[in-house]
Amino acid sequence: MTDQLGALTTIFTEFYYWVTVVLMFLIHVGFCMYEVGASRYKHHQHTLMKNTMLIPLVTVTWFLFGWWIYWAFPTGPGLAPSIMNESTALITDESAFSATWYTATSDLMAVNLGDHISGVFWAAFLLFSWTAASIVSGAIIERITTFAFGILAIAIGSVFWTIDAAWGWHFDGWMLKLLGYHDAYASGVIHAIAGGFALGVLMVLGPRIGKFSSSGEPRNIGPRNPWLVTVGLFLIYTGFWGFYAACNIPIFDLGPEYGMEGISYWTATNIYVTPTTLSGITFNFLMSLSGGLLAGYWIAKGDPFWTYSSGLAGVICASAGNDLYHPIQAMIIGMIGVVIAYKLHYWVERKFKIDDAVGAVAVHGYAGFVGLVICGFVLNGYPSSGYSVGAMWDGTTYATINPLGQFIGALIMFVVLGLIPGYIIAKVLNGMGKLRIPREVEIAGLDYEMMESAKEDEKAVSSATR
Amino acid sequence: MATVTNWIDHLNKPAEEVAGAIYPGAGSSEGILVIIAVILWIGWHILTAKSESDELSRLAKKRHGANDHKSNITDW
Repeated sequence: MTDQLGALTTIFTEFYYWVTVVLMFLIHVGFCMYEVGASRYKHHQHTLMKNTMLIPLVTVTWFLFGWWIYWAFPTGPGLAPSIMNESTALITDESAFSATWYTATSDLMAVNLGDHISGVFWAAFLLFSWTAASIVSGAIIERITTFAFGILAIAIGSVFWTIDAAWGWHFDGWMLKLLGYHDAYASGVIHAIAGGFALGVLMVLGPRIGKFSSSGEPRNIGPRNPWLVTVGLFLIYTGFWGFYAACNIPIFDLGPEYGMEGISYWTATNIYVTPTTLSGITFNFLMSLSGGLLAGYWIAKGDPFWTYSSGLAGVICASAGNDLYHPIQAMIIGMIGVVIAYKLHYWVERKFKIDDAVGAVAVHGYAGFVGLVICGFVLNGYPSSGYSVGAMWDGTTYATINPLGQFIGALIMFVVLGLIPGYIIAKVLNGMGKLRIPREVEIAGLDYEMMESAKEDEKAVSSATR
Repeated sequence: MATVTNWIDHLNKPAEEVAGAIYPGAGSSEGILVIIAVILWIGWHILTAKSESDELSRLAKKRHGANDHKSNITDW
């Protein structure tokens, strides 16, 4: 960097993403607290370890191949040509944003004085990966083995969500070009896919012992530490500020980027490199959170667990279009998403005997799915990309945002890349006898031995004379 | 409803237009949105107040003792 203004822009962007990563860390802290609070005392420590260990498992695999997948797969491959090299193959050539720069052996994946952005951008995406895996973690507590969860966490965190991000959360993604897919703050690419994946796993894993009576009536296994759940969800809310900021590019000149001669237009953009403002999305974040809380409090008759979760579901539902919505639109969409997610949760629980311990499939999966569909109607006709002239492509333009494209996109997220892979991997793990803990251990508690040995330790300590 | 249909065309407009609102229905839907928001706001108060009154009446009819809460499990 040799000119001061260019250096300031670069260092500002570097620091901006770095701060989002710190904020997003709170999402994981929140998920850990929330899950432990929702689990029963006899499972606390294993529940905590399960969610904690996804951090290294996903991080290492994200470094080894997850980040490469994101940059290689925007074309499908084979579904739409890249605007960078006009090929439908995996993007592994020498073009500007090729995956070839993001292999584990690349010198850009390290301290490099020529690159101030890759590491912080990699980390921001990595924190999204943790979130995707953590969403699955909550739904399946108290009966899954840590080994099986580790495999599932890597699958959703470093493979499947990465593919969906390449397809639908990348300026060059085929879903934008062919479907007009729009999902600015990840209703689908994080939440619907993770909810669908969790549902696929739950279909194989089965309910916790005692969750359903012999007649099939669901029993309530409520959170054992409401205050931990409360603080956890507040921390998730807090981390979502970082999540939203990380989905933006903070400062970018769109004039030259769109090939507009003599025009300079500096702005924040979303992940698709189309204009928005951090200020505008702040309106929408808070109004959709409020819509979710209002609807959740009403429909759950003041139940705190669902009210808090509904705040999150409100944000998740409006997230697909929160770069463009009016704040009142965001609030109404958040309300609609919460009502549908809440009703669907109990209907699926009763009808299919699905035991989603924390309502993750509803809050993330159903609300995300609904949010994508609504976005197609409200933003119908908006361009899905600014690169719509086809100057670098074969002449055709990106599809505009539309209801059908968003519905197909929602199905791809929830079913194709979420539910089906989750179901298949869980089936394989189950076939190997590695998915579920033994019945006796589930009844006694995963922490049984720890608690027994703590008792022995305490006995020894309290009987000591010196 | 779409306020922008092509980003390049939009950015090529005079600066004062480029810097304007870009949400769906900009300039035509704000009044309706505010009316809907007010209706929802009032409706929420009516519905939740009724729900709360019903719950309080139901609890009051049970005639709990002053110490009954001590045997409750701390749960939602």
